[in-house]
Amino acid sequence: MSDERKKILDMLQRGKITVEEAEKLLAALGVPEEASPEAQKPGCRYLRVVVEPGPQSEDRDRVNIRVPMKLIRAGLKWAAFVPKEAQSSINQALREKGIEMDFNQITREDIEELVSQLNDLTVEVEGKEKVRIYCE
Amino acid sequence: MLMRLKLSRDPNKYGLILPVFLVWILLFALMIILLPFVLLGALFTWASGQGKWLLMTYPLLISTLFHLSGLHIEVENEEQNILIAFL
Repeated sequence: MSDERKKILDMLQRGKITVEEAEKLLAALGVPEEASPEAQKPGCRYLRVVVEPGPQSEDRDRVNIRVPMKLIRAGLKWAAFVPKEAQSSINQALREKGIEMDFNQITREDIEELVSQLNDLTVEVEGKEKVRIYCE
Repeated sequence: MLMRLKLSRDPNKYGLILPVFLVWILLFALMIILLPFVLLGALFTWASGQGKWLLMTYPLLISTLFHLSGLHIEVENEEQNILIAFL
């Protein structure tokens, strides 16, 4: 617990400030609430992509892919090799799909944040085939 | 590291086990041979900004190869089953 947080809680205990004031001060400090057990779950090691036939599907096709997160991180570093000419083409292709995003503006930190957020990713699509994308 | 390759639906067949680390020895030897040319290339293209990326190729390649462990790709249909796994 930080000193500032202790001071605020001490002031609250002594009655110098109200609960609302303490809340405001803690929020101003940017002190996060105690992490819930769910938020403390360990980071995922693999990204899984599973495609299975749906209940009404006649196909027997199955796909089971497990990609280590470390490999994804290593692979994303290759994005730095994309030439500038190709980057403008990517931007144009994204714009045609209705996605307003500048590929040139994506930094390594952005990619790192994106990968770290994959921990909570779960995609389930059920139709003719059942597709599941999740971390484990 | 080993690579398991299976191209059969027969559950009794384990597939082919390939020692990938032997390929790496050849690859590393090739990388060492090519290193002077890469350094020269980086030197000549440094001004354009491409030289830095050329130098980055080696650590990135090694990083990617070393993190292949755990990769598992399995595609199955009525006729065949393809499995590529790095153990």
